Amino acid sequence: MSKAPHSDKVKSSQQYFPGMKNWKYIAINIFLIFHILAISTWCLPMTNPFVQVCRFAVRPYFVWTGLFQSWDMFSPQPETTNAYLEAIVLYQDGSTKIWSFPRMDLLSLNERYHKERYRKFVEVLLDGKNSVLWPDVARHVARLPGIRDGDPQKILLLARWSTIVYQDDGTFTRSPLDENVFYRYDVKPGDLQ
Amino acid sequence: MKANSFFDAWNGFFFAEQSPTPLALFRIAYGMAVIATLFLLHADWIAWYGPNAWVRLSTIRTMEPGPRLNLFTIIPQSDSWVRILFWVFLISAVCLACGLFTRVNSIIVFACLASIQQRNLLILHGGDTFLRVTGFFLMFAPAGAALSVDRLIRIWRGEEGAEIQPRRPWAQRMIQFELALLYFAGFCSKIEGGSWVQGTALYYVYHLDELQRFPIPPWFFRPAILRLATWFALVFEFSMGVLIWIKELRYPLLALGVLFHLSLEYSLNIPMFQWDVLAAYILFVDPVDLTRFWNRIRTRANRHLGQRVNVIYDGASERRLRTANMLRAIDIFGQLSFADLRDSRAPFDATRQDAQDELLVATNSGLRRGREGLCAIAGVVPLLWPLAILLRIQQLWAPRIAASSKAG
Repeated sequence: MSKAPHSDKVKSSQQYFPGMKNWKYIAINIFLIFHILAISTWCLPMTNPFVQVCRFAVRPYFVWTGLFQSWDMFSPQPETTNAYLEAIVLYQDGSTKIWSFPRMDLLSLNERYHKERYRKFVEVLLDGKNSVLWPDVARHVARLPGIRDGDPQKILLLARWSTIVYQDDGTFTRSPLDENVFYRYDVKPGDLQ
Repeated sequence: MKANSFFDAWNGFFFAEQSPTPLALFRIAYGMAVIATLFLLHADWIAWYGPNAWVRLSTIRTMEPGPRLNLFTIIPQSDSWVRILFWVFLISAVCLACGLFTRVNSIIVFACLASIQQRNLLILHGGDTFLRVTGFFLMFAPAGAALSVDRLIRIWRGEEGAEIQPRRPWAQRMIQFELALLYFAGFCSKIEGGSWVQGTALYYVYHLDELQRFPIPPWFFRPAILRLATWFALVFEFSMGVLIWIKELRYPLLALGVLFHLSLEYSLNIPMFQWDVLAAYILFVDPVDLTRFWNRIRTRANRHLGQRVNVIYDGASERRLRTANMLRAIDIFGQLSFADLRDSRAPFDATRQDAQDELLVATNSGLRRGREGLCAIAGVVPLLWPLAILLRIQQLWAPRIAASSKAG
């Protein structure tokens, strides 16, 4: 009596995977269930403690394989400022030069499609949480052709920004451009080699 | 009863065999998206990934600690090695798109893609992430089961016939799941932000100078329109995440999704994102509908591709049969008809002796064989047109070369 439903179940499953070995079927199902649950808990914005524990548990695996993911484009809030990054280069002879990161709005259509990564990079750099990146960026600016040859001594990173002011009538207004030197780097002799 | 039906539904969804053609089309689109991404990165390859890049490898490892699949940590830190990695990646992506050594190349492409993303996590957008996570599941999928060089090799070896064999779609389902999750997670994240709920989010998005691409008509910036568009984006993302699984709603949603992403491609400068996502839409198309759609295109194309060519082969010969099967696989527009000499209904005046050593091609001017036969076939099968051009060039130059060598 008790065996009948079981054999029915086996029969109904075998119609989908004739010739598939049991261990393979079980392994694939474990793989599927694990990834569906792990990915869901990883990227859905949930804060309950169980989800946090799950995220912590799968983190090493996700980080190693590259399965980490977040789908938060323009969310929860889109950016509300237009921000730009420039580098002020101070040379040994006292002269200065301003080097600007590629600005998408000043590039041709073709160039901005190729250089868009710089937009994202600047967005990341202007976040104070990523200050660990600033020495590398300043060093890279010092090494750029056209800057390196003039024996740069100091690199200042300068942020310029203007806030988008929402207007009820749909017209566009922006606040006056503001600016701030947020990082100073002394170029070391080894940086230019 | 309920457990049984769930069990059946689960098995039906993940394990019921189906044509791998949508997956093969996804593989091609995926490979092309990777190639395009590499092409766009090419000029700044060393600037982003070289030993003296904008951000050094050691800094990234400090910022994002922990073991990661990152080939940059294995290869020597020099520009040359970084360039070699680029070319290996590119060649592998081309092979993946063509379906040559598909499994191996899907692994190489994933390893390289994960590596460049791990090497510089600061310049990624959602499209890059989507390529990476779908690339992971593509490694497990039978991506070379159709529309691939691998399949031609299998046919040539006699391991497969002309018909495409159905496969279990469990890995394909995971890629579909990722696509639906992309939208649903995006929706969940957006409703946490006030500007999306209030309907002002797109006002800010479209006034970010650096994201603008082609001009947008002024009427779009009317507050009511912007509000509707913002809410539409929310409704659309929810629908693509949840309602896409309902069969009756699937095609209208996919059509809406194509329009949605094309409008974003027009208006916002986020290179490749829309194409990376759209590539996965093909996985939601039922293989039966895909065949129907293709047949319609085939019928239209046949009007322009010239007269069909009859290929005669001796089915008793294993070698001839395999060649005929390869031609069947390559002939995606159905420009060839095949006749087995063993079949008494074969309407051609040829004997098995005629077709013993090679295929015969029946044309209006009679039976052709060898090079002439190949020319006739290559001329009507679009995938063989490059071969037709080569044969034609050879045909034009052969007499001149012969004459000059005689004169010499």
